Amino acid sequence: MSTAVTHSSEAEHAEHAEHAHDHGHDHAHHDLPWYRKYVFSTDHKVIAKQFMLASLIFLFVGGAFALFLRWQLAYPGQPVPVIGTLLPSQWVDNTGAIAQDFYYQLVTMHGSIMIFLVIIPLAVGMFGNFCIPLMLGTDDMALPRLNMWSFWLVPPAGVIIMSAFYVDGGYAAAGWTSYPPLSGVINSPTFTVSGQTLWLIAVFLIGFSSIMGAVNYVTTVLNKRAKGMKLFDMPLTIWGLFITAIIITLGTPVLAAAIAMLFMDNFFHTSFFLPDNLIAHTRHGIEAGAGQPVLWQHLFWFYSHPAVYIMILPLMGIVSDVIATFSRKPIYGYKAMVFAIAGIAFLGFIVWGHHMFQSGMNPLLGTTFMLSTIVIAVPSSIKVFNWLGTLWRGNIKFTTAMLNALAFVSMFIIGGLSGVFMASAPVDIYIHDTYFIVAHIHYVLFGGSLFGIFAGIYYWYPKMYGKMLNESLGRKHFYWSFAAFNATFFPMHIIGLGGHMRRIHDPSIYEFLKPIEGWNKFVTIAAIILGFSQLFLVINILWSLKYGKKAPRNPWRANTLEWAAPPHPGHGNFDRDIVVYRGPYEFSVEGRELDYWPQWEPGKSISVHHHTIVVDEKQESNAFGTH
Amino acid sequence: MDFLKVFDMLAWFPENISTFGGDLDALFAIIYYISVGIFFLTFGILGFFLVKYRYRPDRRGYNYHGNNIVELTWTILPTILFAAIGLYSDEIWERTKYSKRVPKADLEILVMGKTFGWMFLYPGADGKFGRNAHNDRSARSLITLDNPFGIDSNDVYGKDDFFVENQFKVPVNANIVMRGSSVDVLHSFFLPNMRVKQDVVPGTWMNIWFNSFKPGHYEIACAELCGTGHGGMRGQYDVLSKTDFDKWSDSKNAEMLAAQTPAPMASAEPAVADSTKK
Repeated sequence: MSTAVTHSSEAEHAEHAEHAHDHGHDHAHHDLPWYRKYVFSTDHKVIAKQFMLASLIFLFVGGAFALFLRWQLAYPGQPVPVIGTLLPSQWVDNTGAIAQDFYYQLVTMHGSIMIFLVIIPLAVGMFGNFCIPLMLGTDDMALPRLNMWSFWLVPPAGVIIMSAFYVDGGYAAAGWTSYPPLSGVINSPTFTVSGQTLWLIAVFLIGFSSIMGAVNYVTTVLNKRAKGMKLFDMPLTIWGLFITAIIITLGTPVLAAAIAMLFMDNFFHTSFFLPDNLIAHTRHGIEAGAGQPVLWQHLFWFYSHPAVYIMILPLMGIVSDVIATFSRKPIYGYKAMVFAIAGIAFLGFIVWGHHMFQSGMNPLLGTTFMLSTIVIAVPSSIKVFNWLGTLWRGNIKFTTAMLNALAFVSMFIIGGLSGVFMASAPVDIYIHDTYFIVAHIHYVLFGGSLFGIFAGIYYWYPKMYGKMLNESLGRKHFYWSFAAFNATFFPMHIIGLGGHMRRIHDPSIYEFLKPIEGWNKFVTIAAIILGFSQLFLVINILWSLKYGKKAPRNPWRANTLEWAAPPHPGHGNFDRDIVVYRGPYEFSVEGRELDYWPQWEPGKSISVHHHTIVVDEKQESNAFGTH
Repeated sequence: MDFLKVFDMLAWFPENISTFGGDLDALFAIIYYISVGIFFLTFGILGFFLVKYRYRPDRRGYNYHGNNIVELTWTILPTILFAAIGLYSDEIWERTKYSKRVPKADLEILVMGKTFGWMFLYPGADGKFGRNAHNDRSARSLITLDNPFGIDSNDVYGKDDFFVENQFKVPVNANIVMRGSSVDVLHSFFLPNMRVKQDVVPGTWMNIWFNSFKPGHYEIACAELCGTGHGGMRGQYDVLSKTDFDKWSDSKNAEMLAAQTPAPMASAEPAVADSTKK
C-alpha cells in the first residue's frame, strides 16, 4: 500500500487536506481533556462504545423486568423467590408477590426499554457509529458533533423513563404502544407528571437521538466513502444501516408529532385522541373536542412498523457480512440482497395497518394492508435464500460470530413464517393480542435482532477493543442462549393458540386457559435460564478486555475496510491511505493464493459468468484463455 | 397420547362453536402446513450445507456471485405462493368482517366495555331499542357510569330495554349482531370459542356478529390492555336453545315490567334506576 492518495471523496477533500498530518498517528488529538476523550467525545468509536455500555445495562434492566412478569404469569400471586421481600414496596405486596398494578408497569417497561433503549441503540447506534466510518474507509462521521448529541440524548431519556419509580403511580402502564385513551387520560388534575408523561418525554428524546444519528449516517455514506468506493462496493452492513437511516429520517418525525399530541392530551388535557363524553372516573378533556383514539394507532404504527425494520435491517447486513466471511464465499446475489433491503424498507411504510386489523379500522383497509403485508414476505424470503446460497459450497468455520449469525438466519425463518399467520387478516382475528404475537415478535427481535447483535459484537470486538473475545465462553453463551431462547419462546406459539391474551396478570382465572398452565411454568423456567446465560456475555466482554488475546489487524481474514485499520484504531482510524479496488466479498478468488482479497489491495480482476478471476497484468490473456 | 399434542399446534385451539370459526381454523391449518413444509425445507437445506461444507483445511470456498435466473425463480415462486394465501384469506376476511356482509340480525345486542367489565343491552320485549348513544349520537351526553348506554328515559321504546353485566345469553343457530363501544378506554371484545375479537373504541360503534351452532357455557375476555384490571375483565356467556333463551328473555322482560308498574311516574326517574334493578 504505497499509493499516496487522500482517502476521502472530493466533497470532504478540503477538510481533509487540513487534517492530513493526522494520518498514521494513533495519538492524534492527545491534547483533548479526558472528558472530551471519554465522555463528550466526538470520536465515532467512543460513541459506539458508549451506546454499547448504556444499552447493555438496559438489556439487563429490561431482562430482569421480563423475568418478574414471567414469574407472575407462571405462579400468579406467589412470592418472587429469593429476592421477593427485598423488592421495593411499590412493586410487591407484603408477601413478596408482584403487585397487580406493577405487573402492568412491567409489561410496559419491558417492551419500551428493550425496543427504545436496547435494540435500536445497539443495532443502529452502536453498529452504525462503529461500522460506518470504518467500513467506508474514512476518519470519522460527516457530522461528529451531531453524532455526540445523538448519544447524549439517550442517557437522559433512560433516566427520565426510569425516574417514574419516584412518581405517584409508578412507571407508565399503558403498554409500549401507549394506546390512548388509557395513556391520555389520567386520574388527576392538569399538569400532573405521571409515569406516562415521563415515558412520552423519554421516547420523544430517543426519537430525536435517532433522527440526529440517521441524518449523520446518510450524510456520511453519501459523502465520505473512500476513494474508488462506489455505492455497490459497500458491504451489506453499510447498506442495511444506510437504508435504516433513511427509514428513520422519514418515520421518526411522525412519531415525534404523535407523541407531542399525546403529551398534550396527557399533560394539558387537550383531546387529540380522546372522544367526547369519555368516562374516566373524572370526565376528561374539553367536552367540545371529539378526538379519535384510532388516529394514534395510525400515527404510532406508521413509525413503529418501519421501526421493526429499523431493528432488523442493520442486523441483516451484519449477518450477511459474517456469513460471507466465515463461509469464505462471496454473498450470493449481492445486488438482490441490496434490493431486498430496499424493498423491505419501502414496503415497511405501507403495511402499518396490519397491527390494526381488529382495531375498528374499516375492514376494507384490512384487505389492503393484508395484501401489502403478505408481499413483504417476498423480499424476506429472497434474503433467506441468498444466505443459504452463500453457505452453498463454502468452507464454513463455526466461530461464535458465525454461530450467532446462523442463529439469526434460522430464527428469522421461524419468525418470518409465524408472521404470515398474522398477516392473514382472518387468521389474525383469533391470534391477535395473544401470545402467538408475543412469540412472533420475540423470534424476530430476540432470535433475529439480538442474535444478530451478538454476532456483530463477537465479530467486531477485536477492532473495538484491540482484544479477542474468548471463544469458549462465547460458545457457552451461544449454546445456552440458543437452547433457552427456543425453550422460552417456541411454546408461546402454543400458549397463544390456547387463546392466552397478552398483558394479563393472572391467566389462572380463565377456564379456557387451564390446558396451557403447564406451558407457562415451562416458559418461565426457560426464561430464567435464558436471562442468566447472558452473564456469559458480560463476563466474556469484561474478562477479554483485560486478559483477552491481543487482536491482529485482520483476525477473520475479511475483506472490508475496517480490517485495514490498526487493531485498536485511535482518533482518525487509519494509518494508511485507503483506495478501494473491488467489492467487499471477493473470497476464494481463482488465481489467488489467499482465499480473501481485501478491498484495499491493488490488483485487477474480471468477472466471467459470475466468477471473479485475477488478471495478471503481465499476461493479460491468461484469464480469458481458460474460460 | 396427550403427549403427542406437543407436536401438533392445531390441537391447542379451544373448541370452535361459531359458523365462520371453522373457516378461520382451516385457513390457519393451511398456512400452518405450508409453514411446516417451508420450515423443514429451509432447515433441511441449512443443516445439510452446514455439515457438508464445514471447514476443511484443504478446501476452498467457491467464488460465485449468484445467478439472476435463480434469483428470479426464488422471487417469483414465493410471490405466487404468498399472493395466493393473501387472496384466499381475503375472501374469508370479507365474509367475516366487512360491514356490508354482516348478516341480517335475528337478535341485536349492544355491548359496552368499561374498566373493568362488559355490559350488554337487550332490546327487550318490543325487539326495539329506545333512543340511546348508539342510534342517536347526541345521546352520548347522557352517558354516565350508571347509564353507560346513554339511554333516554323519555323514549317509550326504551322502557323495556334491559341490560346485563359480565354475562349474556344468546340463542343457538341465530345471527347475533352486536354493536360494540366503550365508555372509557379501548377494550377488545374477545370470545375465544366463538373466534370473535373486536376492539371497541369509545365514541365509535363496531360491528360484531356471530352465529353459534353449539349450546354451552363459555367465557368472555378482554384482549386489549385497558388498565390494572385488564386481566380480570372476565365474563361469561351462554348459548341456549331457542326455548331456553325465550324463557330467559321472558323472565327478564317480566322483571322490567315488574320494576315499572309500581311506579307509574317511571319516566320522572332516570331510566337506569329501572333497568339495573334485578
